[in-house]
Parts: sequence; structure tokens; C-alpha cells
Amino acid sequence: MGNIQIIRGVFDTQLELQDARVVAGFPSPADDYAHETLDFNRDYIRHPEASFYGKVEGMSMKDAGIFDGDRVIIDRAVEPHDGSIVVGFLNGDFTMKYLDLKHKNDGYIELKPANPDFPVFKITENDDFEVWGVVIHLIRTFEEV
Amino acid sequence: MYGIIDCDNCYVSCERVFRPDLKDKPVVVLSNNDGCVVARSNEAKALGIKAGTPYYQLAQQFPDNKIAVFSSNYELYGEMTARVIDIIRKEVPAYFRYSIDECFVYLDGLQHTDLKTWGEHLHRKIMQYVGMPVSIGLAPNKTLAKMASHFAKKYKGYRHCCLIDTDEKRIKALKLYPIEEVWGIGRRYAAKLQSMGIMAAYDFAMRDKDWLRLYFNNIVVQRTWLELNGHDCVPNEEMAKKKSICTSRSFRSMVSTLDELQTHVANYAARCAEELRMQHTVAASVAVFLNTNPFREDLAQYWNFQEQRLLTPTCSTSLIVQAANNVLKQLYRPGFQYKKAGVIVMEIGPNSPIQQDLFDYNAEQFQKMKRLDAVIDRINRLCGSETIVLGAQQCTPIGGKGKADVFANAIRHDFRSKNPTTRWSDIIKLH
Repeated sequence: MGNIQIIRGVFDTQLELQDARVVAGFPSPADDYAHETLDFNRDYIRHPEASFYGKVEGMSMKDAGIFDGDRVIIDRAVEPHDGSIVVGFLNGDFTMKYLDLKHKNDGYIELKPANPDFPVFKITENDDFEVWGVVIHLIRTFEEV
Repeated sequence: MYGIIDCDNCYVSCERVFRPDLKDKPVVVLSNNDGCVVARSNEAKALGIKAGTPYYQLAQQFPDNKIAVFSSNYELYGEMTARVIDIIRKEVPAYFRYSIDECFVYLDGLQHTDLKTWGEHLHRKIMQYVGMPVSIGLAPNKTLAKMASHFAKKYKGYRHCCLIDTDEKRIKALKLYPIEEVWGIGRRYAAKLQSMGIMAAYDFAMRDKDWLRLYFNNIVVQRTWLELNGHDCVPNEEMAKKKSICTSRSFRSMVSTLDELQTHVANYAARCAEELRMQHTVAASVAVFLNTNPFREDLAQYWNFQEQRLLTPTCSTSLIVQAANNVLKQLYRPGFQYKKAGVIVMEIGPNSPIQQDLFDYNAEQFQKMKRLDAVIDRINRLCGSETIVLGAQQCTPIGGKGKADVFANAIRHDFRSKNPTTRWSDIIKLH
């Protein structure tokens, strides 16, 4: 690992005063380089209306680095593709798995866990299954806020 | 060109987003206190369940059907419909929200687009983004747009979007459309028209101006007639903001003490104040009404209504609660079993600049109230509604000591769903 760069982000809405200066003083030379503060919600949530949160229960995706208790951000506006981590509704529960579309032409798709101890779900055209949303971010909290 | 975008079976559709297993199944949503059916899925409608059916009758009337029942969850419906509005907002030159599940849009400036395709695409986008099915009506005025949205809802062939853009289509639609369904024709006028042999919107639109003036000396009916004939004349600002806000409930059981009534009325008043702030308005008058159960003919009956004008129009929770409480004290008569109470705030106007009464106005006090309300709104948004309430909004539970229980617990909501979009504790669980 190289250097770790710490970027300070402001996660609240703030109004920035552009070109703020005290009347008697000199303008700050930094004013010319004013740039908006990084904002995770603004920059990484592309479709706020289509974004939902989910909480992970169990270790079925552990080899993908997703553990019990993690939170994920689900975007319904993103089109799922082969290999997407998707959320679907199966047997009365929301489930999160890899989407495998390799056998689409054979009439079925697969929902694959990232853990050999869990089963692969085979879904045929006759099953009433829909991808509910696509997982786009993982949130793991190390220090409680 | 106008459009109206109307959420299909809005409350049911909100519930289904987080219960995909209920797709194609009969689903109903109950009113506050789980009293009666207020929303039905198409499957529930097909079973013959009527709006307003009391909950206890459902099991009796439909013993052989599995019907999914939900208590109303306005926290969820409010958030989901706000998402729908956010999507619409980005697609149109101008819009105004007409109710929780309807939004008018103004489409001039989109002339170069094929509007039918545009509407179908918007429906698909809202469905994909938030899982909400909508019906879209597009027409040269709002009355016809409303009519078009009914056709879009009723006939699958329209693919959720009906466009009335020629005289031919307009006349065809008018002939198929019953007069009592026309926007702006109330039940009373519909009955009068039907008694004159006017059954379809077309029959009404074809009458001439002199006939109209003779029988309907009423601006709303005359405007409706003009709109059915293709003119655009219902002003936008008239529906942009509500002229009064009413919050009322029937009680779970009869209420007779002033103390308990005050708690309920304080909560209704707080709800009105919150809504005023949401639409950036203030009210100049607060009214309270109160009644016993008219169906219990064996009990003594009483009903009354009274209003109090405010010296300075306000949207402050504590001032409106105070005013409502004053009115209630004047209305209240001991010895009756009360079934329902409500608060109405009236004479609503924009919140700045507020017309101040010279003697009532206290600038410092006013600013403090404003800051307090802003903080309360923020906390209640973050942590769930009624996290912070006024002392007056709490009630003493039967057999309890002190004012400990919040109002929400006094309302019955046995089948309330979770709030996966507004509370971290309720986000969906992924297995």
C-alpha cells in the first residue's frame, strides 16, 4: 500500500461564500481556485430518486467482501449486466447475489452467492422473478457515529 | 399542452414496492385508526371491495379471499411520492403538485417531442426508478388532461399515456366520458345535469352559451364547459396552493374529557402547522370542530364549530396549538361522548412578508419561534415524525401516570409497514 490520502468531505449541505473578503483586507489568493467541497451524495449517488439502502444479513457474499451487518446502496436506475451484484425478491425475502446471465439463451439465469456453502438459484422464464435493483456501493462502519 | 401524472392506486403501489410478492394480489390500505378501506389494488376492486368498507366487514364479506391489509403509512407514501415528483421535475418545463398522488405538468417548450412517446417513456422511468405505476393524460387544458389520464388508466392499449391533441380525439373522449366523472363537476351539479338528460361530457359540451348561463350561473361550471370545448381557462395559481388545511380524525373509542380532547386537537393543530411550513405559507385563522357519533341515536348529540382569527398570520406549531386549544375550550361541553374532532387552518398566504399587527408583533419572539420550529422539523425528519412534540401533544395512557405516551401510540395501526426510505432501522434486509 502506498500513501493513504485523507480527503476531507463535508456531508451536510453548506453554502459557500465565493469571493468572501473583509473590506479592509486583501483578497485571498485562494479565491481564484474556489471549488465546491467534495460531497459523496452529490458525486456518487447518480440517481437519488432511484437509490435505496439495504442491510446485509448473513455471509452468502463473503468472498465478494460483503459481510453480515454491512450496508449497501441499491440503484434501481442502473441496468443489471452479467456479473452485477443485484437485489431480487425470492421466496418471500430480498436477496443479494451475483447475477449470471451466461445461460440466458438456454432459457435460464442464475443468482450466485459468493460463498461455496450457499446454493446457486436457477431461475427460468416461468419463474416470476425480477431484479429489484443493482448494488452500487458498500458501506462498512468501523467507528459508530 | 398540459399533462397530469397520476399514481395508480398510490398507497397500495407504495406498499408493493417493498412487498413484490403482492404483485397481482388483492391489497387494501386502511384509513387512520384502521377504520375503513381507503385504497385498493385492481385485484381488490375486481373482488368487489368498495372504498370506505369498514375493516371489520372485510372478513365477513370476503371469507374465502386472501386480502393483504395494511394500515396507512403516510411517512412511506410521502417519501415515495416525493421521489416521483423529483423525477417529473427534471423532465418538464413547469409542474405543480395537485395532491399526494397527482401532479400537473406544463409542456409548452416540448413541442418538438412526440408527446405520446415522451409520456410512455416517463411512465417506464418512474416504474423503474421507484416502482410506482402512473397514468399520464396529455391535453390542451387541465380538464381534458384529467379525462385523458382516466382513459390511460382504464385501457391497457394506451400504455399508460393518453394524448388528446385533435378535435376528433377530444370529441370521441367526450362521448365516452360520464358527466359525473368530469373534473370540476361536483356531485350536486352532476345530479342536476343528469336530471336534464345530460349523461356524457359530450352532451354538456354541446349545449350553447345561453343555456349554460341560464341554468348554471357558476364560474367553475362555466370554466369546465369552456375547457371541454378545448379552451384553456382554469388558472394555475388557483390550485397551486391549498386554501385551507384540515386535519381531523375519528377516535378509536369515545372521548369525553377535555384533557384527552385537548391532546388530540393539539396534535391535529401541530400537523396543520407542519404542513403550512412545508408549503411555505402562514394561516390567519384557526378553527376547531367537534362532534358526537351521529349513528349512536341512543346518546346525547352535540356538534359545534368555531374559529379564531390570529392577529399575526403564523405557521408556528406552538401558536397554532395555543389558538386551537383556546377555541376547543369554548366549544367543549361536558357530558357528551365525542367521536371526532378536527382543526382547520384558513386564510392561507405566503409566509413573507407577513402582515404584522402592530400591537401583537414581537420580533424577537417571532424569530425564536421560527428557529424552534425549524429545529423540530429537522429532528422529526431525521428521527421519525413525533420524535419531538409539544407537551400538549402527549396524552395520559389509561391507568398511567403523567403525560408519558405520545400521540402516535394512541392511533391504531396494527398492520403498519416499515419505513425503509426514512428510517435506518427499517432499511430492507438482504439475505
